Parts: sequence; structure tokens; C-alpha cells
Amino acid sequence: MLPEWMKEVDVGPCRFSAVYHGKKGFVGKTIDGIFGFLQEAFVSETYAKRPGFLQGLDPRAKMISILCLVFATSVITNLNLLIFTYALTLMLAYLSKINIAFFIKRVWLFIPIFAGIIAVPAIFNIISPGDLLIQVAYLGKEAHLGPFSLPESIYITKQGLNVAIVFTMRVAACVSAVVLLFITTPQQVLFKSLHSVGVPKIYVLTLEMAYRYVFLLMDLVREMYVAKKARTIKSRSMFEEQKWVGGRMGYTLIRSLDMSEKVHMAMMSRGYNGDVKIMKQFKMHNRDYAAVAAAASLSTLLVLISHNIIQV
Amino acid sequence: METLFDLRNISYSYVGKIDALKDISLKVGRGEQVSILGSNGSGKSTLLAILDGLIYPTSGEFYAFDNQITEEVFDSIKENDFRTYFRTKVGFVFQNSDVQLFSPTVFDEIAFGPLQLDMTAEDVEARVDDVLEMMDIVKLRDRTPHTLSGGEKKKVCIATVLVNNPDVLLLDEPTAGLDPRTQLWLTELLQELGEAGKTVITATHDLEVIDQISERAIVIGEDHRIKVDGSTLDVLGDMALLLSVNLIHEHMHFHGKAVHEHLHAHKGEHLHQHKT
Repeated sequence: MLPEWMKEVDVGPCRFSAVYHGKKGFVGKTIDGIFGFLQEAFVSETYAKRPGFLQGLDPRAKMISILCLVFATSVITNLNLLIFTYALTLMLAYLSKINIAFFIKRVWLFIPIFAGIIAVPAIFNIISPGDLLIQVAYLGKEAHLGPFSLPESIYITKQGLNVAIVFTMRVAACVSAVVLLFITTPQQVLFKSLHSVGVPKIYVLTLEMAYRYVFLLMDLVREMYVAKKARTIKSRSMFEEQKWVGGRMGYTLIRSLDMSEKVHMAMMSRGYNGDVKIMKQFKMHNRDYAAVAAAASLSTLLVLISHNIIQV
Repeated sequence: METLFDLRNISYSYVGKIDALKDISLKVGRGEQVSILGSNGSGKSTLLAILDGLIYPTSGEFYAFDNQITEEVFDSIKENDFRTYFRTKVGFVFQNSDVQLFSPTVFDEIAFGPLQLDMTAEDVEARVDDVLEMMDIVKLRDRTPHTLSGGEKKKVCIATVLVNNPDVLLLDEPTAGLDPRTQLWLTELLQELGEAGKTVITATHDLEVIDQISERAIVIGEDHRIKVDGSTLDVLGDMALLLSVNLIHEHMHFHGKAVHEHLHAHKGEHLHQHKT
């Protein structure tokens, strides 16, 4: 049955020795990154199980409270009030037994991406005219960039800097509040509680399923990479690697479409007829009502102070 | 017997918290046929992945071909002679066939390995044709892997590995989901490879085939530690052990090799002594 060449066994000793050969390939690094995210998701889930302040609240109460805070933060223009709100989120994180360093890192990881793109141009006099703070470049009179005329000099303005700092602080406070909600609530509970704030059931179900299958598909991607690694005898060129990644992306899409059809069939076979039914087992306690009342009052107060309706 | 794999006090845990293997020490010699037995989740697949240098122990040391296998050595982007040698000599058949098949056609899939061995196009084609014929899958040559049935996919997966003529074959649950005829075919193939001097390590919880494909059995318990490392026949005869590691339950029974010679779904065909 076996061809002759397959009966050959190399009985000689291994002629090579294992030595360090430099950096990892880009596919390996990307997969590591994905797994880093997975690991973080696991860590976050453990925060949701700790007996902390926010973990003890009803998820609906928590969601409404946090949304109130996010709404207030997005209309506040006073920097001091924004710093106060951010400090409040840090205090809530501490009371909820979250590692503060982990929390700050998680929030500030995203801020440079969002705030940086929008806030950085705003500090210059081109976007925010105002008082000169630091001169960046002198262009001379009648400077042009194609058909656009440019100011005589480009400088950072006091008003522009203020706008940028307020914007960044606002993003930080909002993101902190939302991250708090996410890491102190188990995912499945969080998604269910969305329904109580008016999100249609079908979206809640879709979100729940998407979250579950994202993990499954990520696992598939990891397994495909490992299987390829097992069969890769020689290092391949970057182009070859990219071709493989492209092919696998297409395959993952086909698999996910195929899986979605099968999942739908499995749902139908268990009685699903398009009407989503969600079991809610939440119970509001006095402290939950108190939390909502406190968050709503504080948010209103912050907005009123920020708009000088109440003088402090 | 020359030692190919040497595992010293190896433990592995996923994302630092879910234990998969604990304190595993074992050696595998050249030409051995070994079964790794254990219930679902005991760590069999993890052990195979470590043996293939795909993941690295969280603690402990793993040596293959007298070299320590570490991430720094294996996961580099640069050309690496030892890794090339290792990947040529060791073949891994995954449990999930779908992850292993990534080329547009069955032919391309099987040719992937030999092409990396710097063989000429004619040699590659001849070798692929040999394997297609040996595996009785010539008719699948130009098919797309994702259109194949489960049994066909498994055959193609095995073909993709055998085509490189590895000296060591690692198989993860190879008989799972196969029809009886394909199972028998696979058992005979593994026997033949063993007779040719290949080292065959199979992770399975299918007790019906292990005495045919291995002389040595390593049993991993539900606590992720090695319970027994001994002869396959001794392991199969130790009912208390098999019960304790969740490989059999109290209503199962053995007929020795007779199990492969008659249908198991029978009533009154012959007498059994069931444990109650």
C-alpha cells in the first residue's frame, strides 16, 4: 500500500541545532495580538464577578446611571467639571475593586486615536483663531497652499489648546464611564439589559450571538494559523504570507456565512419563528433606585453648573 | 532506542488560568507506536501541539531531536535550519480537518509540503499522484477542499502530511467521525506506517483501535496529569483505571480484538457479562 519512498526512514542524528533566529513573523504577531485581546476579555470578565460597588447594582440601573453621566459629560464645557467627572469614574473603579492601572491603561489606549485626530488640528490658529501661545511657523504675507490662502504665521492658540484639552478630557471621561459599565457587567447580562433601555429585542439577540461567534471564529483563525505553521517547512516571503491571510479571510467569511445559516436552522428546529423572547431575571432594589436617582441628579447638577445656570 | 522527544515536567495553561497539562514527563523513542488516552478536555490535543512545536510549555522543558524547543527558536521569521528539519520530520494531522486545508484544490493542498522541500515540479507531481493513489482519492484531485465530505477531508489531511514522508506522525483523534470502512482503512494504514519504522503518536479516546495501532499507551487523567504510561494491553485490561479516568463507564464491556469482527449493535447474539 505504501509507495517505496514512504518506507524510507531517516535514522541518522539531527544535523542542526536550535538557535535563536530573530523576530517573529507578522502573522504570528497579529495572532498574538488577537489572543492578547481575548486574554483581556477574560480578565475583564473576572472583574465583573468581583464583589464590588458597581457589580452589586442591577444592570439596568447601572446602564441608566452611566448613560446619564455620559450625556452630562458630553454637554459640559467646563474643564474642572470634566476633571471632576473623570476622577469620579476612577473612584467608582476603585470601589468596584478594579485595578486602577489596568483601568487607566484600557481607557487611555483608545484616546490618542480618537482625540488625537480631532483635537490636535484644533490647537492651531487655522482651526481655532485666538491669542498666540507658541509660534510654530512663519509663512510670510500672502502665503498660499494651492488655491487656499494661509495666515501669515501658524501658531498654537490659547483658545485652541483649551478646546483640545476639554475635548480630550471629555472623551476620557465618557470612555471611562462606558468601560466601567462593560467591565463590571458580564456580557450576557449587559446585552440583556440593553433591552430595558429601549433597544429592540432582535438587536439584543444579534449582539449576543455576534459576541459568541466572534470568539468562535477567532478560535478558527488561530487554529488555521497553527495548522499552517505545522506544515510550513521553510519561511515564506511576506507576499506569500499576505496571500495566505487574504485567502483565509475569504474562507472565514464563507465559513461564517455557512455557520450563520446552520445556526438559523438550529434555532428554527428548536421553535424559533422570528419572534425573539428574552428571559429577564433582573430585580431592582432600593439601592438601585438610589443609584439612578443619584446619577441623574449629579448629571443634571453638572450640566446646570457648566452652563452657569447654577453659580458655584 | 534513540529518544526523539523528551518532555521534562511540562505544564501548560491557557491564558494563564485554564490548566491543560500538569507536570508531564515522558520520552518517546524512534519507531515507537504510542497512544495518548484521556477523556475530553484532559489535555491530549495540547500535548500533541507541544510535541509539534506549535505551542510552548508554560513551565518545564521540551527536547526534540536533542534540541530544546522554545518560542525564541521556533517562531522567528528568518530561515531556520533546525525548524525546517523538524517540520520535515514531524507531521501533524489535526482533529479539525477544516483548519488544515487551505489551498484552492486537493492537488495544491497535497503539493504544498513537497514544494517547500525544493523538489522539482515533476517530482512533486509524481509524489502527489503516488499519495492520491495510495489514499484512493484520485477522483478528488481537482476538487475544492471545502466541498468534500468529512471522511474525504480527513483522507486529504493525512495525504498532506504523508506526502512529506515524515518520520514522526502525530494524529489527533484520527478516527473521530469516520465511517467504519474508513476507520478500518486508517487503522491498517497506521499499522503499515508503524511496520515501516515510523514513529506514530495518536491522541484518542477510541479504545477500540488503540491495541491495533500502538504498543504503548499513556493515559492522562481528568486532573491533566499522566496516570499510567505502560503497555497498551495492560492499560486495556485495567478496568479500574479506565473507569477512573472517564474512558469507559460502568455499562461498557470489552471483547478484546473480537470487537472488530462483529457488529456491536446486537441483541442476544452472544452473551456478555455486564457490570451493574
